[in-house]
Amino acid sequence: MRNYGMKRALAGAAIAALAMNASAAHAASASGTATAKILRQITLTKTSDLQYATIISGATASTVAVSTAGAATCGAGLTCTGTTTAGNYTVQGTNGAVVLVGGDSSVTLNGSLGGTMTSTLTYSSPNITLSPTGGSFQVGGTLSVGANQASGDYSGTFNVTANYQ
Amino acid sequence: MLRFLRAFGLFTAAALGTAASPALASGDLLVAPTRVILDGSRGTEVVLNNIGTEPATYRISLEIKRMTAEGGLNEIAEENVTAAERAALDMIVFSPRRVTLPPNQPQVVRVGVRLPEGTPPGEYRAHMLFRAVPDAAPATGEPKPASEGVSIALTPIYGITIPVIVRVGDLGAEASIGEAWVSDTQDGPAFNFDLTRTGSRSVYGDIEVTRPGTPEPLLVARGIAVYPEVGARKVSLRVPDELAAKLKGPVHIRYTEDREIGGGTIDEAERVVK
Repeated sequence: MRNYGMKRALAGAAIAALAMNASAAHAASASGTATAKILRQITLTKTSDLQYATIISGATASTVAVSTAGAATCGAGLTCTGTTTAGNYTVQGTNGAVVLVGGDSSVTLNGSLGGTMTSTLTYSSPNITLSPTGGSFQVGGTLSVGANQASGDYSGTFNVTANYQ
Repeated sequence: MLRFLRAFGLFTAAALGTAASPALASGDLLVAPTRVILDGSRGTEVVLNNIGTEPATYRISLEIKRMTAEGGLNEIAEENVTAAERAALDMIVFSPRRVTLPPNQPQVVRVGVRLPEGTPPGEYRAHMLFRAVPDAAPATGEPKPASEGVSIALTPIYGITIPVIVRVGDLGAEASIGEAWVSDTQDGPAFNFDLTRTGSRSVYGDIEVTRPGTPEPLLVARGIAVYPEVGARKVSLRVPDELAAKLKGPVHIRYTEDREIGGGTIDEAERVVK
């Protein structure tokens, strides 16, 4: 965690240095006033992935849901093992700034041994208001598992963005 | 001694490596500033920094988003854009479009505008998207035997968008604050109010909600925009339970321009929050 804070501080310093360079250049060509401009920034950090863990499919189609709080609901006929987590993202920026957050509403997963599955995706909030320490949002989803779904490792990608207005 | 130090170095590297791996932080990013307005031909710079613990490749692109009456931003596929949105995509020039950065390495992205002859006055806008190109799906080792069920790996491609606004001609806009109320959403209470806009450009600023007689604001929300594609939007802000209770009753709502351009009042109103 300390390492992390250090990094952030360095990032801030880098920005300040860049900003100063930029305004120094402007100053030379325009008015001759030296100013240092600190730019407003936004950072997006992923702190956990949306994980459904391992599922053993049953004779009938069913679903596994992971809430935005990370709680799993294993549908009838399925066996779910391992630890599920919701996707978690941290946003930092100007205190009080409202950031719109969201992403794809579904994702298709392809199996390593063939077959596909789909998962719907849900987001904890359409926007977050940043506190002095930032804010966070979570991604949950519901995975549709077919009857006797082919075994294998299923993978897919989906888009998540934090948007300034 | 040297060998000891080297061994120690390796040890710390390994320790850091294990400490960092649970965060899976490849592609974390910083973008500054958070909004770009271009009027005239002079360009500007946006800084992108890799704040993750691993090198990452970032892609920078422009996309069109339209504001909804609910205050969200909907992404519009390139084949569905209007002529004015197409013009925005074409007039905003930037470089680079792809960059690989080691951890904590900032990169300047130059943003400029190339206005075609005879561009009609108006506000043109696109949203600049910065996002990491994900690493190839991690090798999962041996394929699972049939008895072991299915395992799932979802890789998010996550990024940040900031608006890039080009203003052509002499534009103006006004906004007014409508009704305010507290509602319950599935994720807790929210403070809501309507914001209407007239004129030829967007409005942007900060909201401050105060109780008459109390200097300390109850709520501050910065960076609220109403874009030209909507005449009105709802502003809905998630608030903690105790604040939701406090907000009910008479309040003063003030919408001010960005502090960086003076912070003048756009509109203010006395409302009784239901």
